[in-house]
Amino acid sequence: MMTTQTNPTKKPLLEVKNLKQHFPIKGGILGRTVNHVKAVDDISFTIHEGETLSIVGESGCGKSTTGRAILRLDEPTGGTVLFEGQDLLAMSKKQMRDMRKHLQVIFQDPFASLNPRQSVSAILGEALAIQNIVPAHQRRERIIELLGYVGLRPDQIDRFPHEFSGGQRQRIGIARALAMQPKLIICDEAVSALDVSIQAQVLNLLKSLQKQFKLTYLFISHDLGVVRHISDRVMVMYLGKVVEIADKKSLFDNPQHPYTQALLSAIPVPDINKKQERIILRGDVPSPINPPQGCRFHTRCPYAIDRCKTEVPGLTSLHDTHQVACHLAQV
Amino acid sequence: MPEQQDIILDVRNLQTHFFTEDGVSKAVDGVDFSLNRGETLGLVGESGCGKSITSLSILRLIASPPGKIVGGEILFKGQDLTKKSEADMRAIRGNEISMIFQEPMTSLNPVYSVGEQIAEVLRLHQNMGRKEAWDKAVDMLRLVGIPSPEKRATQEPHELSGGMRQRVMIAMALACRPEILIADEPTTALDVTIQAQILELMKKLQVEMGMSIIMITHDLGVVAETCDRVAVMYAGKVVEYTTAQNLFANPRHPYTVGLMNSLPRLDEDVEELQAIKGNVPSPFSMPVGCRFAPRCPHATELCNTKLPELLEYADGSKVRCWMYTSEWDGDTKTATEVGV
Amino acid sequence: MFVYITRRLLQMIPVLLGVILVVFLIMQMVPGDPAVLLAGEGASEETIAKMRTQLGLDQPIMVQYVQYVANVFQGDLGTSLRSNLPVWDEIMARLPATIELAVASIFVTVVLGMIAGIISATKQYSAADITIMVIALLGVSLPSFWLGLSLIYTFSVKLQLFPVAGWGTWKHMILPAITLGTAGAAIVARMTRSSMLDVVRQDYIRTAKAKGLRETVIIYKHALKNALIPIITVVGLQFGFLLGGTVLVESVFAINGLGRLIVDAIRMRDLPVVQGGVLIASIIFVFVNLLVDVLYRYFNKRIDLN
Repeated sequence: MMTTQTNPTKKPLLEVKNLKQHFPIKGGILGRTVNHVKAVDDISFTIHEGETLSIVGESGCGKSTTGRAILRLDEPTGGTVLFEGQDLLAMSKKQMRDMRKHLQVIFQDPFASLNPRQSVSAILGEALAIQNIVPAHQRRERIIELLGYVGLRPDQIDRFPHEFSGGQRQRIGIARALAMQPKLIICDEAVSALDVSIQAQVLNLLKSLQKQFKLTYLFISHDLGVVRHISDRVMVMYLGKVVEIADKKSLFDNPQHPYTQALLSAIPVPDINKKQERIILRGDVPSPINPPQGCRFHTRCPYAIDRCKTEVPGLTSLHDTHQVACHLAQV
Repeated sequence: MPEQQDIILDVRNLQTHFFTEDGVSKAVDGVDFSLNRGETLGLVGESGCGKSITSLSILRLIASPPGKIVGGEILFKGQDLTKKSEADMRAIRGNEISMIFQEPMTSLNPVYSVGEQIAEVLRLHQNMGRKEAWDKAVDMLRLVGIPSPEKRATQEPHELSGGMRQRVMIAMALACRPEILIADEPTTALDVTIQAQILELMKKLQVEMGMSIIMITHDLGVVAETCDRVAVMYAGKVVEYTTAQNLFANPRHPYTVGLMNSLPRLDEDVEELQAIKGNVPSPFSMPVGCRFAPRCPHATELCNTKLPELLEYADGSKVRCWMYTSEWDGDTKTATEVGV
Repeated sequence: MFVYITRRLLQMIPVLLGVILVVFLIMQMVPGDPAVLLAGEGASEETIAKMRTQLGLDQPIMVQYVQYVANVFQGDLGTSLRSNLPVWDEIMARLPATIELAVASIFVTVVLGMIAGIISATKQYSAADITIMVIALLGVSLPSFWLGLSLIYTFSVKLQLFPVAGWGTWKHMILPAITLGTAGAAIVARMTRSSMLDVVRQDYIRTAKAKGLRETVIIYKHALKNALIPIITVVGLQFGFLLGGTVLVESVFAINGLGRLIVDAIRMRDLPVVQGGVLIASIIFVFVNLLVDVLYRYFNKRIDLN
C-alpha cells in the first residue's frame, strides 16, 4: 500500500491556533465563577486539504471539545480557527451559519441526532433547502442520489429513523452531511457505537466517499485501531494538551511521547501469539480543573524527571511530519 | 479438551425466550459451552447476539415475565440451576457465582457508601457482623488496588472515577471468594489505559483465588488477552467453540472469520476492511436456515433452508456450519479456504 | 451545605417583599373601603376621613408599602382594624391549629401515598395495583369540601365515631387530616409508583439481585431510598396546595385556624390581618420548600450543592 505522507506543499484547509476552551465553574453564595475546567488549553494544528487528521485520547482529554469549538457549537475561550484563511471565531453568527455548510459533523449517536418524526426524505430535504443549490423540484432525485452514495436503497426514502439499524442510521447522518457538499467533515466518535462488522462497513464508506468527493476529515476517536485505518496524520491529546502529532506511520511505528507509547501498548491485540510488553499506567487521569504543573502527564509518567514537574514542554519537531511535547524525546 | 471432573459449569442447549406483545424473541436459542475450574472462557459476539442474556440466565436474573428459560440445562458442579428454587439461587448469587457489569457508573447504588455495598454481601453470605464485614470490605478494596481504602470505603460511588468503581465492583463480586466470576463487558466503558489496569487486576486475582471467569466481550483483543477458550455467538446461538489458540490460528465459522477481517488492526495496513455485508437478523424473525446465511459469503441452498447442528470435533471444539459436514452442497474448496 | 442554605435564605427576602406587594395591590383592587366598614353604617364624611388618616390610608400606596415593610422588619405586623389587637397576637392564636392540621395531613399524604405506591409498583398490573390506581384517580378528582362533608356525614353523624366539628383532641384531627391529605396521597401514590418502577430498572438493582439479596431488601433498602428523590419534590409541592386547602377544610370543620382568620379578614377588609396572615403563610411555605430542597440534596448527593 502506498504511504500517505503529508505533502508539505499541500494547501492547509483548517488552521487552529492557540485554541482554548475553558468552561466556568460557578460557586459560592453569589454564584460567581470560582474556577475553570480547562478542557482544551492552548492547542494548535493544521489540517490539509483532502487528508484525514485524527484526534485520539481518552475521555476528558478534550478531543470532542476541540471539534465542538471549531464548529462554535460551544464558543471557545480564545484562539483562532482559520478555515481557508478566514477566522471562524471572528465571524458574526450569520456569517458562521453560512460557513457551516462547508463544515459538517457526524456524531456518535446517530439516533439522537436524527429527528425521530422526520422521514429520511424530510431530513435530507431540510439539508438541501438550507444549502439551496438544488432547485426544489429536483430535490427528491438528489436525495435518492445521496442515498445511493451511502449505500441505502431508493425505496427507503420515506422511512423514519427508528426503522433503521444503528449502522444505517449512521449512513443517513453521513448522507445529511454530504447534502451540504462540505469541504470538511468532523467525525466525532462516528463509528464508536457500532458493532465491528457494521463499523467496518461505515469505515469503508467514509474512505470511498473521501476519494469520490475529495473530502477532508477531522476524525475524533478513542479507538486506535480505527484511527490507524482511516488517518493520514494523528494527533494525541492528554488533559487538554497536544502531546504528539505525526503522520500515521511515524506515530504508530515510532511513538515518542511516553503517553502515546502507553496508550498503544494498552490496546489488546486480537492475536494470541503477539503478546506485547505492556506499559501499565498507574492511577487515573487528573482533574482538568487543576491540571498538574509542568508536563500534565508527569504524575503518571514512568520516566518523569524533576524538570517535567515544573516546565511545560512545547511541541518540538522530530522530523518534518512528527512533533512531540516531551522533555525527554530524542529530538 | 477438559477432563470431566474439571468442569465446573456446563451449559447445554440453553434457550431463553422473551414473550412480548410483538411476538416471541428467541434471544438465546441454543447455547452450549463448558467452563473448567480456573480457566477463562470468552463469550464473544456483537450486540444482540444473546451473550448478556446467557450470563443473566446462568444466575437466573432474567425478568420474568417477559423472559423465560424455556429449554436446556445449566449444570453448576453437576446440579441443574434451572431447577433450583429461588432461595437456593439467592444463596449461590454473589457467593458461589458473582457477576460484574459493563457500566461501573450505574452499577453501584448511588446512595450507599461503597464500603457498605461490599460489606452487605459479606453479612449476607458469610454471616459476618457489621464490624467484621466492614473490615473485610476495606481489605477487599485494598486487594483490588484502591489507595487509602479506609477513606474510600466511606465514600459514595459518585466520588470515584470509572476505573475505581469497576475495582469496587470486582471487590464486591470477589468478597465471598466465588468459584465463578461472570464479567459482562467489564472494560467496555473504560478508557484503554484503565482497561489495561482492570484486565491485569482480574488476571492477578484469578490466579490468587483460583476462580473461573466467563468473560463476555465484543472485543477480540480482550479475548486474545485473557481467554483460554472461546464460544462465539451469533443471533442467539453458539456458532463456534474452541480454544483461544485455535480460534485465532484457525477460525472455522465464516462469521468468526468475518469478525476478524472487519477489525481495523494496529499492526497491519489494509486499504479496505473486509466488512460483513448486511445486518444482524431481528430476534422476532430469525432466518429458517443457518442464521448467518443471509450475510455469509459461502451460503448455499442448504444453508438457507436448513439449520446446521453444532458439530463436535475430536479435540472437543465445535462449529455450527454446513461447510464442515458431508451434506455440504457448495464448493468443497471454499471450506478449506475459509478454514485457513 | 451551609453556603447553600445561606444563599437560599437570602433569596427569600425578595420573594417575601414580592408577596407583600402582591397582597397590597390585590387589596387595593378589591371594592370596599376599610375606613367605611370600620366607621360603621351612616358615619359622617368627617369621621371616615379622620379614620383614613389614622389608618394611614390617605398616603400613596408605595408609601404605605414601604412603611409596612419597615414595620415588618421591626417585628410589627400592625394592628387589626376590627379587634384592635396586634396582628401578631391574632395570628399566633390561630396558627397552632393550622400547623397541627397541616402536619397531620402531610402525614396522611406521605404514609398513605407511599405505601399504596410501593404496593402498586411491586405488584405491577396486579388487581391490587389497578385498584390502588383507580382510587388514586378518584382521590385527585374529588373536591375536598365534598369529601369533608361526606366524611362528617358518614363517620360523625351516622356512626358517631368522631366529633362533627371543632379542634382540640386527636379525634378532632382525623377527619380533617384525611380530607386535606387525600388528594396529596393520591398524587404521591402515583409518583411513588412511577418512581419505583423507574428505579427497579436501574443497573444497581440488577447488581443487588446478583448479590443474592432478597426481594424485600432490594425494594426497601436499595430501591426506596433512590425512589424518594422525586417523591420529596412532589410532597414539597403538595404542601403548597395543602396550605391553600386549609381554608376550605377549616371552614367545613369549623376550625379556628389561620385560613379562616384570613378569609374573615378579607371579608372585613381588615388589611393588616390579611397581609400578616399571608406573609406568615408565605414564610412557612418558603421554609418548607427550603427543607424539601435540603432533603432532596441529602438523598441525591450527586447534585452539587452549589
